[in-house]
Amino acid sequence: MTVETAVVDPDLEFIRLLDEGSGHMLKRCFQCGTCSATCDLSPDTSPFPRKEMAWAAWGMKERLLNDPDVWLCYQCNDCSVRCPRGARPGDVLAMVRREAIVYHAFPAFVGRWASQPAAIPLLLGIPAALLTLALLVRDPIQQALGWAPAVGTPILYAYSRMFPRWLLNGVFLAFTLLALGLLAGGVARLWRSMGRLHGAGGPSRRARGLVGSVTSVVASVLMHDRFVKCTESRSRYWSHLAVFFGFLALSLVTIWVISAPYNPLVRGAFIYPFAFLSPWKVLANLGGIALLGGCFLMIWDRMRERDHASVSTFGDWALIGTLILVVFTGFATEVLHYIRLEPHRHLAYFAHLVFVGALLLYLPYSKLAHAVYRTTALVAAEYFGRTRGGGRPSPEMAGTAADNAR
Amino acid sequence: MSDKIGVFVCTGYGIGQALDIDRLCTVATRECGVPFCTTVESCEGPGLQSINDDIRREGLRRVVVAGISPRRYAEGAFPEGVIVSAFALREHVTWCRPANDEDTQMLAEDYLRMYIARVKAMEAIVPFKPEEAIDKSVLVVGGGITGMTTALETARAGYRVRLVERSERLGGWLAKQHRSIPTRPPFRDLEDTGIDALAAEIERDPLITVYTSASTSRIEGAPGLFDVTVTSTGNGKPAGTVLDTFRVGAIVQATGWTPKEPRDTLPYGRLPDIVRNVEFEEMVKAGGPLIRPSDGREVRSVAFIQCGGSRDKAHHSHCSSICCLTSLKQALYVRESHADAKAFIFYEFMRTPGQYEDFYRRVQEDPGIFLTRGEVADVRREDSGQLVVTARNTMPGDDLRVRVDLVVLAAGMEPNSADGEAIRALKDAKVQAERGESETQRREAAEKVARLQRHEGTEILNLVYRQGPDLPVLEYGFPDSHFICFPYESRRTGIYPAGTVRQPMDGVASREDAAGAAMKAIQCVEMTSRGEAVHPRAGDRSYPSFFLQRCTQCKRCTEECPFGVLNEDEKGTPLLRATRCRRCGVCMGACPERIVSFADYSVDIVGSMIKAIEVPEESEEKPRILALLCENDAVPALDLAGEHRLRINPFVRVVPVRCLGSVNTVWVSEALSKGYDGVILIGCKYGDDYQCHFIKGSELANTRGANIREKLQKMALENERVELHQLQISEYQRLPQIFEKFMDVIEQFGMNPFKEL
Repeated sequence: MTVETAVVDPDLEFIRLLDEGSGHMLKRCFQCGTCSATCDLSPDTSPFPRKEMAWAAWGMKERLLNDPDVWLCYQCNDCSVRCPRGARPGDVLAMVRREAIVYHAFPAFVGRWASQPAAIPLLLGIPAALLTLALLVRDPIQQALGWAPAVGTPILYAYSRMFPRWLLNGVFLAFTLLALGLLAGGVARLWRSMGRLHGAGGPSRRARGLVGSVTSVVASVLMHDRFVKCTESRSRYWSHLAVFFGFLALSLVTIWVISAPYNPLVRGAFIYPFAFLSPWKVLANLGGIALLGGCFLMIWDRMRERDHASVSTFGDWALIGTLILVVFTGFATEVLHYIRLEPHRHLAYFAHLVFVGALLLYLPYSKLAHAVYRTTALVAAEYFGRTRGGGRPSPEMAGTAADNAR
Repeated sequence: MSDKIGVFVCTGYGIGQALDIDRLCTVATRECGVPFCTTVESCEGPGLQSINDDIRREGLRRVVVAGISPRRYAEGAFPEGVIVSAFALREHVTWCRPANDEDTQMLAEDYLRMYIARVKAMEAIVPFKPEEAIDKSVLVVGGGITGMTTALETARAGYRVRLVERSERLGGWLAKQHRSIPTRPPFRDLEDTGIDALAAEIERDPLITVYTSASTSRIEGAPGLFDVTVTSTGNGKPAGTVLDTFRVGAIVQATGWTPKEPRDTLPYGRLPDIVRNVEFEEMVKAGGPLIRPSDGREVRSVAFIQCGGSRDKAHHSHCSSICCLTSLKQALYVRESHADAKAFIFYEFMRTPGQYEDFYRRVQEDPGIFLTRGEVADVRREDSGQLVVTARNTMPGDDLRVRVDLVVLAAGMEPNSADGEAIRALKDAKVQAERGESETQRREAAEKVARLQRHEGTEILNLVYRQGPDLPVLEYGFPDSHFICFPYESRRTGIYPAGTVRQPMDGVASREDAAGAAMKAIQCVEMTSRGEAVHPRAGDRSYPSFFLQRCTQCKRCTEECPFGVLNEDEKGTPLLRATRCRRCGVCMGACPERIVSFADYSVDIVGSMIKAIEVPEESEEKPRILALLCENDAVPALDLAGEHRLRINPFVRVVPVRCLGSVNTVWVSEALSKGYDGVILIGCKYGDDYQCHFIKGSELANTRGANIREKLQKMALENERVELHQLQISEYQRLPQIFEKFMDVIEQFGMNPFKEL
C-alpha cells in the first residue's frame, strides 16, 4: 500500500447517537451482509448498508456523513426485518441521513435547533417575527412608493390587502432563495463524494449525461418505482405517493399564483383569486386533501411499525406535523374566508403563512432536505453509473467491493 | 486338565433354521470329545438361566456358548469360577451368511472347534493382589483452580487428599485475575473469581493436607502403592528439604499453564507499552488509574491483538481457547476505567464457545469497544509516545490504523508438562555419548543430546518409571491420552492430567475437568484394590505373568509397553508393576521368547485356536484366511456388519485379539504352516490422531510387519499373503470389501503350498 492509511479515531458521541437511533442495536452487526443482499436498491459494487454499518460501529463520522449511498436508501426496512442480529441497518441509515442534514447545515446552530423539540417556539417564532415585521413595514413602504391600497373590492378586508402581492412574493421568494442557497454547499459536497467514491473520477460510459440522468430520476421519482421495490412496508408507497403529489400540486398552484400576474399570456379567471370550481382551486383543494391523507397514513404506519422495524425520530414527526399544520391552516383560511369569519380568518391566514415560512426557511435543516439531497444523490448515481449492474468503484472502495464479493 | 467341558449351541435368532445343529453338536462331542453338548433356544433371559442351571447341575467347569456376541452379556452373566468362552455364532455366522449353505456350516463348525480349543487352553483367573494394602488416598499436583477443585471433590467423596503447590499460596492464575468472565446466565457481568472462598474451604477440610512451596521430588511405585517424596522449592525452607513422604493410590496432575512468548513479528519486549494479557491483568488488579508503563500517562485507548503467536504454524500452532474471552473481559476493564476510553480488538477468528456467545454480544453492544477481523501488520511508536497499530483486511475497510496508549497481546497457553520420554531419551543419549562403542555412535548420541537439551531439568512428577520421570506428551506438550475417545486418560495408569495442562480451557471447564479427574482417581484406587484393570479393559482381572527363567533381557517389553508398566533391573530384566497394567498384551506380542501370558489370553491359547480349524484340501478350492481382529473396534464392527446382514466371505476365520499390539508374529507363521492361505490383521487407526485404545498397539503391529515379512521370506511365501488394515467401528460397511479384496489377492497367488505338508 503506497497510500498511508489515515488513523481512525472513533467518535464515541456519534456512535452513541446512532446507537440510540437504532434502539441500541447498532453494535450488534457482525457484518454478515444480509442487509446488502436483501436490499433491492443497493448497487452491485460496494453495496450499502453493510459497509455503512461497519463504519457506524467504528464511529467513522466524516466518512458516513459524506457518504452519498445513504441517500440512495428509502428506508423500506427490508434489511432491518431480515437482519439476523436485529441491528436495524435501515434505521441506522435514517439516523445518518438526519445527522448528515445537521452536518451539512449552515449555520450549524440552526441545524442543531431543528433537531430539538425544545426549540419549537423559537423555530416558529422566527418566521412569525419576520412576517410581523413585514406587516409593520408594509404601509410605510407602500406610502413611500405611492402604491395605494385597492379599495371597493367585494371582500371586506382582502388577504391581498393584508399581504399585498409584492410583499408576499418578496418575503417568500427570499425565504426560498435563502434555503436553496444554504443547501448548495451540502449538495456540492454530496455530488463530489459520489464522483470520487463511485465514479472513478468521471461519468460512467453507460451514463446518459446530466440531462438524461435528471430526466430518468424525475421519471423514477414521479413513478415512485423505488418504493415499489420495498417488500416489507408496502403502505409507505401509498402514503409517500399521496404526500408527494399533494405537495407537488400545492407547489404548482403556488408557483402559478405567484407567476401568473406577470405572465402576459394568462388573463382573467386564471389569475388569483380563483372561483371555487376553477381548475386551479380544485387542484389545490385535492392536493391539500392528498397531503393531509398521506400524512395521516404515515402517522398510522409509524405507530403500527414502532414495534418491529422503523424508529421514528423528532425530525420525522416535525416534518409530518408541519405539513399537517400547513394544510390545516390553509383549509381553515379558505373555509373561514367563505363564511367571512372576521377577524379569525386573518389569524388563520397568518398562521398558515408562518408554517409555510417555517417549511421553506428550515428546508436545509429539516427532514424535507431529503427531497434535495436524495434527488441529488439519485442524479449523481445515475450520472456516475452507480446503479444496479453498473458502476466502477474507486481504488478507495475497491477493497470493500472485493470484500463484499467474497 | 480334568475339568468337565460343556457346549451350548443356541438355536434361537434363526440360527437353528440356518445350520445343521446336529452336525454342529457332533463336531463338539465326537471330534472334540466334549462330554456335554446341548441346544438352547436363546442365550438371554430364560435361555441364559437354563444354561446356568445346566452348568450347575452338570458341574461344568469350562463352557463354550455358541450364540450371541459375547459383548451382549452383562457382567456376571455366568456363575463365578466357570471358565466361559462365548462366541458370536449369530452375528459372525448366520446373520452374515446364507442359510443352509455348505460354507456357512463349515464356518460354524470351525468356530466351534476354535472356541472349544480355546476353552481347553484357558486357565482360571486369579486377580492380582499385592502384598501391601492398597492405599486409597489421592495426590494432587498443582494448586490452581483445577487442583483445588480436584482436592475438594475427592475429599467430598471421603478420600484423603495431599495437595502439592509449587508457589507460596494456592490459587494459581485465577488468583491473579481482577475479575472472572461470567460463568452463569445471563453471561453479561464479570464475576468475582471465588478463589479465596475455595482456598478457605480447603483450609477447613480435615481430609486435605496442603503443601505449599513444595514439589514432588520422587514418586515410586504403582497405582495403589505410589510412594511420594515432597520437597521444598526454596521459599522458607532451603530448596530440596524433604517436607514429607507418604503413600497415595492415585495422582492428578493439575500443573496448569504458562503464557507463551508472543511471536517475534510483534515488538513485544522492545516497546514497554506492549504487554501480554497476563501482565495487563496484573496492571488492572493492582488498582489505581490505568497508566502507560513507559511514561506513566493515563491510558485512554487499548488495542488487543488476538492470537499473539497462537494458531501460527511457525510459533504456537493451536488455539488456547480462552484468549478471546480474556480480551473481551479486559476490554470491559478499559471501558470501566473512563467513560470515553476505547478498546480495539483485532482478531482473526473470535472464539467464544457455547453460551459465552452471550458475553460476546454484551461486549459487542458497548459503544466504546471496537471489534474487527484483521491481520495486525505493524505496531509502531510515535513521537507522542502513543502506539499506532496497522491492521490489514479489516471489516470497516481494507486497511485500518488506530492510535492507542497500550497494546495487549493475547498470549497463548503452554501446558506446564514435562516430556517424560524425551527426558529419558536425553539421559540415555548422554550415556551413549560418553560410552558409545564407535565414534559415529558417540557423535550421533551427542547430536541427540543437543536436540533434547531443552528437556534437561524439566521434571515435574519425578516418577520412577523405566520410560521416564513424567507423562509421555503429544506434539504440543499436552500429556498423551486416547484423545479422541477417552481424553481423561493418560499413558500412566492412575495418573490423570486435568485442567489446562491437558487442554487449554477456562475456569468453568477446569472445574468440570477437575471433578472428572477426581472421579477417575477414585475409580482407579477402588478397582485396583479389587485387582481389576481400569480403562479400557475396565474390570478385567487377568494380568500378565512373565516366565522370567527364559527372559533374554532384550527389553522389548519394557520399551514397547504403552503404559510404562514394566521397570527394569540393572540387567534389563522386566520388573512387573501389575497395578499399572492395562492388560493390552503388547508385551505378549513383543516377546520373542513368548514368556508373557495371561490366564485367559496367551500365545498358546490363540495358537491352539488357529490350529483347531479344518483346512480343506487344495483340490476343494476352499481357501482359508486367518483374520486377527482388534476387540475394540474391528470385532464390534464385524458384529455390526452381522446386525446389518452384510455378506461376509465364508473362508475367513476370525480370532479376536485384545489389541493388534498383542499379536505375536508366531501366530502368523503358525497359521501359514497350518495351511491358511493368508493372514489379515485389522486394528484401530494409528498416527497423530490415533484411535488405538492402547495408544501404540496398532502402530506396533505395523512396525512388526518387517518381522513378519522376514518370516514369510524364510517360508518362501509371498509378502502379499499378510495384510494389515485400520478400521473404525463406524466403518463396518467396509469390512466385507476388505475381506473380498484380500481374497482376490490370495486368488492371484494361488493356494498355500504348505497345505500339502
